[in-house]
Amino acid sequence: MKKTLLTTAILSAALTVAAGTAHANDFPSKPLTLVVGFGAGGSTDIQARVLANVLEEELGQPVNVVNQPGAGGGVALTRLANNNDEGYTFAFGTSMTITYGPLATETAYQLDDFRYAAGVTLGQSAIVTGEGRPFGDSWESLVEYARENPGTSYATQTALDRMIIEYIAQQEGLDLRIVPTAGGAGMAPLILSGDVDFAYSGGTHSGYAETGEMPVLLSLAEERLVAFPDAPSLQEAGYDINPAEIRVVMVPKNTPDAHVERLAEALEAATQDERFIEITEERILMPVVYLSEEEVTQTLTEQTESYKALIEELGGVPGADE
Amino acid sequence: MPELSAITSAFGDALTLHSIMVILGGVLLGYLVGVIPGLNRSVAIAIAIPLTFYMSAYAAIAFLIGLSKGTAAGSAVSAILLNTPGEPSSAATCLDGYPMASNGQPRKALKVGLLASVIGDLLSTLLLIVVVIPFASIALKFGPYELAAILIFALVFIAGMAGGSFLKGMAAGGMGVILGTVGLDPETGAMRFTFGYAELMEGVPILPLVIGTLALSEMFVQLEAYRRNKGGHSIHLANNPNDDLTFKEFKSTLPTIFKSTGVGAFVGALPGLGPSVGSFMAYGLAKRGAKDPDSFGKGNPNGIAAAEAADNAVIPASYIPLFGLGIPGSVSAALLVGAFMIHGIQVGPLMLRDHPQMLFTIFAGMIVASLIMLAIGWYGLRLFAKVTDVPQNIVIPVVIFLCLAGIQVQGYGTFGLLTVFGFAIFGYFLKKHDYSFVTFLVAFIVTPMLEMNLRQAVILSGGEISILLQRPIALVFVVATALLVIHLLWSSYRQYRQRRQTTA
Repeated sequence: MKKTLLTTAILSAALTVAAGTAHANDFPSKPLTLVVGFGAGGSTDIQARVLANVLEEELGQPVNVVNQPGAGGGVALTRLANNNDEGYTFAFGTSMTITYGPLATETAYQLDDFRYAAGVTLGQSAIVTGEGRPFGDSWESLVEYARENPGTSYATQTALDRMIIEYIAQQEGLDLRIVPTAGGAGMAPLILSGDVDFAYSGGTHSGYAETGEMPVLLSLAEERLVAFPDAPSLQEAGYDINPAEIRVVMVPKNTPDAHVERLAEALEAATQDERFIEITEERILMPVVYLSEEEVTQTLTEQTESYKALIEELGGVPGADE
Repeated sequence: MPELSAITSAFGDALTLHSIMVILGGVLLGYLVGVIPGLNRSVAIAIAIPLTFYMSAYAAIAFLIGLSKGTAAGSAVSAILLNTPGEPSSAATCLDGYPMASNGQPRKALKVGLLASVIGDLLSTLLLIVVVIPFASIALKFGPYELAAILIFALVFIAGMAGGSFLKGMAAGGMGVILGTVGLDPETGAMRFTFGYAELMEGVPILPLVIGTLALSEMFVQLEAYRRNKGGHSIHLANNPNDDLTFKEFKSTLPTIFKSTGVGAFVGALPGLGPSVGSFMAYGLAKRGAKDPDSFGKGNPNGIAAAEAADNAVIPASYIPLFGLGIPGSVSAALLVGAFMIHGIQVGPLMLRDHPQMLFTIFAGMIVASLIMLAIGWYGLRLFAKVTDVPQNIVIPVVIFLCLAGIQVQGYGTFGLLTVFGFAIFGYFLKKHDYSFVTFLVAFIVTPMLEMNLRQAVILSGGEISILLQRPIALVFVVATALLVIHLLWSSYRQYRQRRQTTA
């Protein structure tokens, strides 16, 4: 009994010393938590779990994935904004939650409540249509068709794409019927059956790239899409909006510099890891990139500003007061 | 549409060691749950969903379907040995099973029950596979008009058929609809009934609702029953040489099994009726059609065969509207929708198009589950006979623990725990006052889908109701719904008048 006590005492003393000598910069020195703002099984979650495995090796500490679903990722960010554990808890999510979210609804967080350690994936959202439509698969002829046929229908999925289409309709003088739908699984049948003329698509169209059943009219990324090089980007089509989605890793703004840097370093390595590239480019069909904290913050700030200007031009958030 | 190679490779996937182990786990667990009185299928699926987060989507669904099937077969054991059905739907099995077991033939009774279960299940699974593919190919052409009309019809049908009064059915459905509308408005993004909780923005989270109303509330009901009744005594298997099933005896029950499977499959394919209706209907038909109807209720093996074949045939058949249209017709199908959603797959006709491999693998897994059920039931006879003795004072706390652990695993935190208790109390009162559970749950699950399709239909048509004339399928269902409502109201009015006349 006495011996055990003594051993425990020595052991704990040794541990204290070891911990004491560890430099403050030896982040991380305990397990980390990666928060996903969506439910288990979605594309963000699938990607986050692989990312966690890779980061675990890079950082030398376990990385646990926790799902905090709700409000399109907003529930997780509300909690993260009030978190004080210096980067041990970080979130992986999509930029729309943080750029357009606070503008469209009342949120308990803002863009500058966080630091953005890095961007690791580019979204591939687009405006799509189906096969054999009277306007074919070019954006210009769609606009012409819609001008001549009031009541041309568009299926929206997010508050952001709704605002973009309302803006376009205003610019081009179109009278559209805007139909809500949920996720790619809700949009695909409407487009494939021909019930709706054209639609927003977050990434579903990438799965139809080979069969050509879902042609892309406009790219909503900064550039043209990897799988659909013929469709112009918004800017090329003459609309001054850049709604490019970036999948980012974020921490609360009071996280020490050294910790953010260490995370960024590990994330940069992750973007070169086979497993992360495979799950992202082959399963989710989005390109892997590495964007530094500076680049991400600048892009997101610009986007937020341009959305604010758009909302003003449209006289309020579209849909909210109808 | 499906190619042969897709089907053979689906079987290949379902026959890997890993998937067999998963299905085996599901069936075994289901069998145990079925055997233990007081634990039922919905409780088991509700608390098993969080377990499946760590599995692939296919494994998760195969596990849950195996679980579902296992409960139906296992429930015969306690019905026969304890005279207490493990599932409400095995109540019909007690009628002949318990007398037969009391007469010194418990093993024979169990084997008849098992074989009837497996055959009913297997045939009904094959029916599902044959029917659902052409069904889904047609359903793929349905747009928002058709889907909205079909969903409304299904809801009214369930409310009217799920037993009890039509008005209570409508009330239960109404509660489901109201809970289903919580969250962001799909069109305007306005908050509805969220009371400032960001957690409610995407709707009432399904897992706390399901675990609370189905599993935790059931434990409250059981606790209450346990205080009054400390459980009965089960019949033990003796080494009686006369107590075994001969091939001749088995052959004599086959016609009953086939007929009852047909009854069960028919009842299962209609939304809302459920396995209890199926098994009692099959039992009644078997008794009426028998040469010696008087021997029923005194230990006739045909009675067991009828009840069990129908009970088990209901489950695969209830997946026909699920995979064909995306409409869950039973509690276990509604729970599967939840499980699919959690794994990022929308169940319904689109699966045939987008995930055909997965769909066929699930079907193959279902057949594997039937065969595993036979093996488990046959070789585990003795073991399961002992499990009927597990005392409630062990079962109830373990299940309550699993309920709460399931909520924590999903990361809902304190909010999840509060919701789960809220729904447990709500579910307790629903059960006490005999409001239809299926109607409530199916309405909750289907409401977001219904709302979306209805609003799409309204916007696309530009508000012109005459568009229905160009949509004959939608029109048929609108008319059918109207006729159904008139019929149901008329028959409840007649019942009401009769009751008044008899009391006056």
